[in-house]
Amino acid sequence: MSYFNVEEKIEELRGELNESVDFAHRFYKKDDQTIALVFLKSITDQALLASGIYYPIQTFEGKYSIENLTEQILKCADVKEIKENEIVDQILDGKIIILTNFSQKLISVDLLKFPTRQPTEPPTSPVIQGPREGFVEDIQTNITLIRRRLKSKNLVVKNLKVGSESQTKVVVTYLSDVANDEVVKKVIKKIQAIEIDGVVDSYYILSFLQEHPDSLFKQVGNAEKPDIVASKILEGKVAILVDNSPIVLTVPFAIIEDLQNSNDYYTNHHYSSIIRIIRVFGLLVAVLAPGFYLALQLFHYNIMPLNFLITIADTTLGLPFTPFLEIIFIFLLFQILYEVSLRLPSYLGLATSVVGALILGDTGVKAGLISPPGVIIVALAKIALYTIPEQSSQITVLQIIFLILGGSLGLMGMIAGMVYFVNYLNKLDSYGTPYLAPYSPRIPKDLKDAIFTSSITEMEELPKTYSPKKEKRNER
Amino acid sequence: MRDRISMRQAGIIICLTIFSNKILLLPALMYNFIKADGIFSIIILFALEFVCLPILFLLKRNFPDEKLHDILKKYLTVVGAKIIYFMLLVFMIFKVLLTFSIVYVYFKQQIYQNEFIWIAFVAFLPVVNHAFMSGIKPTARTMELFFSVIMAGFIFCLVISLFTTISTPTFFVSSAKNIFSSVYKYAFTFGDLLFMFVIIDKIDYRRRQERKMYFYTFLGMLLVVLLFFLFYGKYQITSFMHNNALADLLVFSVQFNAIGRLDIIAMLTIMFITLFQMEIYCYGFCDCLLGIFPLLDKKYAIVVFDLAFFILYYVFIGKYEVIVHATVSWLPILGVIIGYALPILCLIISIIKGRKNEKSG
Repeated sequence: MSYFNVEEKIEELRGELNESVDFAHRFYKKDDQTIALVFLKSITDQALLASGIYYPIQTFEGKYSIENLTEQILKCADVKEIKENEIVDQILDGKIIILTNFSQKLISVDLLKFPTRQPTEPPTSPVIQGPREGFVEDIQTNITLIRRRLKSKNLVVKNLKVGSESQTKVVVTYLSDVANDEVVKKVIKKIQAIEIDGVVDSYYILSFLQEHPDSLFKQVGNAEKPDIVASKILEGKVAILVDNSPIVLTVPFAIIEDLQNSNDYYTNHHYSSIIRIIRVFGLLVAVLAPGFYLALQLFHYNIMPLNFLITIADTTLGLPFTPFLEIIFIFLLFQILYEVSLRLPSYLGLATSVVGALILGDTGVKAGLISPPGVIIVALAKIALYTIPEQSSQITVLQIIFLILGGSLGLMGMIAGMVYFVNYLNKLDSYGTPYLAPYSPRIPKDLKDAIFTSSITEMEELPKTYSPKKEKRNER
Repeated sequence: MRDRISMRQAGIIICLTIFSNKILLLPALMYNFIKADGIFSIIILFALEFVCLPILFLLKRNFPDEKLHDILKKYLTVVGAKIIYFMLLVFMIFKVLLTFSIVYVYFKQQIYQNEFIWIAFVAFLPVVNHAFMSGIKPTARTMELFFSVIMAGFIFCLVISLFTTISTPTFFVSSAKNIFSSVYKYAFTFGDLLFMFVIIDKIDYRRRQERKMYFYTFLGMLLVVLLFFLFYGKYQITSFMHNNALADLLVFSVQFNAIGRLDIIAMLTIMFITLFQMEIYCYGFCDCLLGIFPLLDKKYAIVVFDLAFFILYYVFIGKYEVIVHATVSWLPILGVIIGYALPILCLIISIIKGRKNEKSG
C-alpha cells in the first residue's frame, strides 16, 4: 500500500519554496520501496548528510521501515517524527525531511549548518582581566556559551519564533528558581505578541520589550559577553537571545547596570568603587558641562573665579558667534567628525581624527572662529560620554537639552531640568523594577553592588531590585 | 503602581519642607523683631510642629487607608470638610507664593540681573506641574535621591561659616511677651507638617518605622536652629541686614576668598530646596482642590494651580514687599487656624475613633 506519492509531494514542496536553487532531493529505491530526502543545500551539513544518512540507507540490507530508519539506519543525533504541515518550516530550519511510500510518518533530521564566526572578544566590551569570549550570530553557539557557565538543572531555555517572513528563533532563558515568574510570563507574552515581518537583529525585539517604547531611556539591558549574561541570569534576570544577533537582551533593567562593568568584578573592589565614582562623575560632566559653561558665561559670570573669568573674556573677545552659537557650532563639529569616523574604513578614520582635532580645532581657534575654552568643554563632555558607552545615545540627547536649558535659563534651568529628568526616571520602570534603584527608592542591601562595591564574599544576597524568588544566592 | 511613599521618603519630605521660607529671609526678619531671641521662637514653633507628628501617626493608625477629606467628612459633614480643605488650599498657594517670592528676590540680586521672573516661571512651573502629574511616589523618590546632595550643600554652608569669627549671640534681650508674639507673627512660615495630613492616605505606614520620620523631622529642625545660631553668631547686630541667611553664611570666610565664590554651593542648594518645596505645595494645592471638587480631572487641577499662581503673583501680590507684609499681618491667622487647629481636630477625631474601636472590642 502506498501512502505518499513521493514525486508529487516533492514537486509540491519545490513549488511552495518558489523553485529555490538550493532546494534539493534524492531518491533511494529498493524493490517497491522508495525513500526521498528533501532539504536545502545552502543550510545543511553535506558531509554529515553523506556519512549519517546517504551511506547508511544505501548499505542497509533488508526491508526498510520507519522504525528501522529512526532506530538503526540513520546515524544522526536529532531524529524525530513530524507532521505534514510542518514540512516547509522544518526544511527552512535546515532539517532533512525523509518521505517514504511505505509509511504515512515523516522524519526530520537536524543537519543545520551555515558559516559562523568564532566567539572572539567583542569590540565594545574589552577586558583587562577575565573571560574574553563574546557572543556570535549563531543562537545555538550562544546558548552553549551560557550553558557552559550555568550547568544548572534550573536553567530554562524556551524557544520562540518571531517574524512572519524571517521566522527568527528567539530564545528566552532564565533560572526557574530565581527569576520572578511574573517577569518571565510578561516577557514571553510580549514576544509572542510581536507582529513583524522580519527580525534582523535583537534591537528589533528590544523595541517591543520596552514597556515605554517612546521613552528616550532604554529599559532593556544588553550584553555581548556570556559571562555578563550568566551573572545577570544568576541575579534573577531573564535573557533573550535572538538568532543572527550577538547582542543578548536582559530584563528587568535598572540604570545602575550600565555603571557596572565586567572588569569591576575581576579586580579589587576598592579600585572598582573608585572607577565607578569616576564613571558617575563622567556621566555628570558629559551631560552638564556644556550647559553649565554656557549658563556661567551668559548669566552668572559674576560667580566665576576671577582668573577663569579673565581667561574666558580674553579668548572669547572678537568671536563672530554668540557663546550659545559657538558651543552649538563646536558640538556639531564634534558630532559630524564622530559620525564620519564611525562610517569610514579604519585607515581613513585615523586621517579624519587628525583633520578634525588638529586642523579644524586648532585652525578654528587661530582663525578666531571658536574659543579654546569652548573646544575644551565640548571635547571633555564628548570624551566623558564614553565612560558609560551603553548610554551614549541617551547622553548625547541630554547634552543638547541641557545645552539649551543652560543657554536660555541659566543655572535655574539646569537644576529644573535635572529635577525634571530624575522625576521622569523615577516614574519609569522596567518590568516592575524602579529605574533608579537601589538609590531611588533606596534599597540598602543592594548598595553593596552599586556605586560603591563590596567584595563578592559579602554579596551573599541576591539584589532585591529585580524581585528574585529567593533571597540568598546559595539558598536551595 | 500604587502611588504610595515609604516612611523614609515621608521623613525626607518633612525635612525639606522644614527648610521652607526659613533659610533665607526669616532669620533677618526675626532678628529685626526680637534680636537673637528669635532662636527661642523657632524652637517653640518647632516644638509645636513636632507634636503634630504623633498626632499624624495616631490618625493613621485609626484610619489606615482613608483620605483626610473622607475622615473630616465623617465627623464634620461634607460642608465642614470642604471648608477646611478650602483653607488648606489657600495655605498651600500662599506657601508657594512666599517661597517663590523670597527666592526670586535672592536670585535676582545674586545671579540674574534682568528679567528673572520669566526665567523662573519657565524653569519652575513645568517641573512643578510634571511632578504633580507624575504622582507623589516619583516626586518623593526624586527628593530621596537629591536629599544627600541637599544635605551636603546645607551642611557645607554651615561648616564653612565656622572659618570666620563666630561669637555666641546675645540672648535674653527681648521679653517673653515679644518672643510669644513672634511665635504668632511668624506662624505662617511654619506648619509645614500639614502637607503630611493632606497626603496621609499615601503614606505606607509601618509602626516600627515611625522613628525614621521622627529622625528626619528632628534633623531638619536641628539644622535650621544651627543655621539661626551660626547666622546670629556671625553677623551679630547686623543680622537684620542680611536677607539671604544660608548664602550669607559663606561670605567673608577664609575659604570663600581663597577659592572664589563659594556661595554657588548655597545657590544650588537653595534651587533644589525651592523646587521641591514648590512641588510639595503644588501637590498639596491640587490635592485639596480635588478634595473640594472630586469630579475635577488632575490636569485641570494643575491648570487651576498655574492660573491661581499667576493671578495672585501679578494681580494681588505683585511685589515682594506685599507678600512679606502679608506673612506677618494676616497670613499668621491662617497659619494658626490651619497649622494648629487642624492637628488638634485630628487628635480629637483619633481619640473618638480609638474609643469607638475599644468599645467595639
